[in-house]
Amino acid sequence: MTYVYLAICAAVLLLTVWNLWTEKDWRKQCAAAMVAIPLLLRVLLIK
Amino acid sequence: MPFELILFLVMVGVFVVGAFVLKLPVSLSMMLASLAALLASGNGLGIRHLVEGTFGYVDTILVIATAMIFMRAVQESGALDALTIVIIKRFRRVPALLLPLLMLVAMFPGMITGSSSASVLTAGAVVAPVLIILGLPKASAGAFIALAGILGMIAPPVNIPAMIIGGGIDMPFVGFELPLLLLTMPLAIVFSWWIGLKKIKRLEWEEIAPRLDTASYERYGFRLFLPIVGVAVLMVLGKALPSIFSLGLPVVFLLGAAAARFVGKRFSVLKASKAAMGDALPVLAILAGVGMFIQVMTLTGVRGFVVVSSLSVPAALLYVAIAVTMPLFGAVSSFGSASVLGVPFLLALLGKDQIIAASALSLVAALGDFMPPTALSAIFAAQVVGVDRYSLVLKKLILPALVVVAWALLFIGFSTTIRGFL
Amino acid sequence: MIQRHHVSALVVSAVAVAMAAAASVSFLGHSAMETIVPGPGVKDVRMLSDWFPALAGGAGDTEVYVLSGDEPGGSMLVLGGTHPNEPASFLSALLLIENAKPDRGTLYVIPRTNASGFTHNDPQEGAPTSFSFTLADGSARSFRYGSRATNPIHQWPDPDVYIHASSGQALSGNETRNINRAYPGRTDGTLTERVAYGIAQLIRAESIDLTVDLHEASPEYPVVNAVVAHERAMPLASNAVLGLEMQDLSITLEPSPRNLRGLTHRELGDSTDTLAVLLETCNPSQGRLRGRTDEALVLSGKDASYMKAFELGRLYVPFDGDGISIETRVGRHLATIGELAFALGMEKPGRDVEIGGIPPYEDLIARGVGAFLSPVPAADRE
Repeated sequence: MTYVYLAICAAVLLLTVWNLWTEKDWRKQCAAAMVAIPLLLRVLLIK
Repeated sequence: MPFELILFLVMVGVFVVGAFVLKLPVSLSMMLASLAALLASGNGLGIRHLVEGTFGYVDTILVIATAMIFMRAVQESGALDALTIVIIKRFRRVPALLLPLLMLVAMFPGMITGSSSASVLTAGAVVAPVLIILGLPKASAGAFIALAGILGMIAPPVNIPAMIIGGGIDMPFVGFELPLLLLTMPLAIVFSWWIGLKKIKRLEWEEIAPRLDTASYERYGFRLFLPIVGVAVLMVLGKALPSIFSLGLPVVFLLGAAAARFVGKRFSVLKASKAAMGDALPVLAILAGVGMFIQVMTLTGVRGFVVVSSLSVPAALLYVAIAVTMPLFGAVSSFGSASVLGVPFLLALLGKDQIIAASALSLVAALGDFMPPTALSAIFAAQVVGVDRYSLVLKKLILPALVVVAWALLFIGFSTTIRGFL
Repeated sequence: MIQRHHVSALVVSAVAVAMAAAASVSFLGHSAMETIVPGPGVKDVRMLSDWFPALAGGAGDTEVYVLSGDEPGGSMLVLGGTHPNEPASFLSALLLIENAKPDRGTLYVIPRTNASGFTHNDPQEGAPTSFSFTLADGSARSFRYGSRATNPIHQWPDPDVYIHASSGQALSGNETRNINRAYPGRTDGTLTERVAYGIAQLIRAESIDLTVDLHEASPEYPVVNAVVAHERAMPLASNAVLGLEMQDLSITLEPSPRNLRGLTHRELGDSTDTLAVLLETCNPSQGRLRGRTDEALVLSGKDASYMKAFELGRLYVPFDGDGISIETRVGRHLATIGELAFALGMEKPGRDVEIGGIPPYEDLIARGVGAFLSPVPAADRE
């Protein structure tokens, strides 16, 4: 189950980054980045 | 003036300037407020603390993200329109029954998941269009599903704030079902009538039919509902047989989303997922911001200051303190309120029935989901019903929220008497 | 085609990556284990996987220090670091390892019962990552401040509701990673449950007579400065409490609640023959009412916020400007362990454990924890 959740986490991270790069408003890009940080560190098994 | 108070004012001040003067998103304003307090307290940039705080909500972020993807998929498949049609066709003539029924449907995901957002975004999104077609103004429909969200979150079998409060004093989550039902169900019925009965119209099917998108339902029929039924079944199984069906909500939602791809109108999974994440990101970012905010409050001693100040009111005013501070702190997060304030308040309520008191405190904490600027439940509800400013929904929630507080305080005050009846 | 928003996306992404990288340095560094210097009583250092091989090489495997005397006797197990955010628990176990010398019987000490919990901090608690002491020779030793629960990178995700395996009791989902809700453990369960099983196996295999689980609680928690004892351990624990009163240390004795499952004092007492007790001291750095959270609070236990809470009648222990120092807390644990070992001899003649060299309470207060820590040999220094 851990691997399933890591995969889900990675997928949500990719969708977040995709939104970050297609988003026009820098403020909303910042919001996306705030979500991406914990997801990235969980996917990398750092935290 | 205590240094912690100064820091608290700095945090609030930076937040207000960020959110209201500079018009930055709530999430970003919370991060800036946290950063300001880190610097002012001599903790430097404290990047570790900012990042660590967000981890309190990683699981919640996954639940909301996948719930949004599921809802988007169900919507794209045509199932939401179809469900609206079925409910209106069957129950449009008996509003006194229809309204509590809709309330219960809207509460269901919250009861199972313990999350008001999940409720509002899933079943709420089904119920709201029905209410609007039946004649409720959009804002009222939003208030209806927002209330369903917090009542569902508090109703058994899963109530996370009560679990958090219980966990703080080593009280297992056992024996809460009856008190929680008694606490939530009367409110659910009363609120559904209060918001709906006057506004609802008795319409003939022929009048409504042209306003509905009946094409998908006629083409695909009942199979459209299979993803929703499947998700509901998996949620119930996950609760009833947790040792076998312990998939967790994100997996359940993604299975439902995948199923939705095959039962109705075809759509691009990737595009739908991306759009769903786009909708969810502002709220997910608020959660991350809240995490930073609480971490920095704790680090700098502001959290302790807030809690001790709340507890320092005289015993006679304890109930007032509960009624005021718990929903207020809920602006940061209702789970945070349960953890930071719920536990000390329960300890202060000596001589009360602990289970009933904890249940009632969890209900007061849940109101935090209405409290701006985070107001998760109200923001999502506004999004679902298509109201631009969530303050319109919020206005409709003020009186019901006061009733909720009064009801919860009655439960605390008469906890031992109520215990006698159970 | 590069557009304007791509430039801002690049900048935002770069800042996010930089933040993630800066935080990662701290997060990854938390896995570096502190050195423990075995003292005169240590005869063997084993791993928990010796008793439950499935743990070998994993994040849950942990050191078991075996201290034994020349004369045979009973056996005693001390669990430190059940909750790595309760530093007096780990430190008391550490001081036993570095100072104690049993004359009779065998003392098993696990300093990091939940080893995974030492590798991270709880989100939103703002805890320091470590705390340190200056030794008599001027050198310093530092130790990790950890989390109450297993690290999610070792066990994830949490279920919505944690069902205790053998009783069916429901608890909040995050308690899945709390080893003191996982006993007696199971072989096919989560990492936390498997570690709990390993400890139960050790107790069975070594016929441990007395198991002492060391904890700390926040000052607003009702069970603080207390011994919680399984019903079979009540006579022994009440003798120990009497002994502590002779030393002017007041401590309450609480029976292990029958309906609170998964805890050492309940499950180890029920599922093995050991006499199971749990000790609580008072740690202001883990409470909800605390002020600024930092290393100073962990060590000195001085906190203005708790002083105010005490004046308001919200605490279960006296709290004044002197605070509750780490020395006081470790001293209480060690004094209680000494009394429990003594009481074991009265309870089970022939199965007694006599332990010399435990730092006395008054000495700890006077000289500090650092005075009882051994300098790290040059070879082990980084």
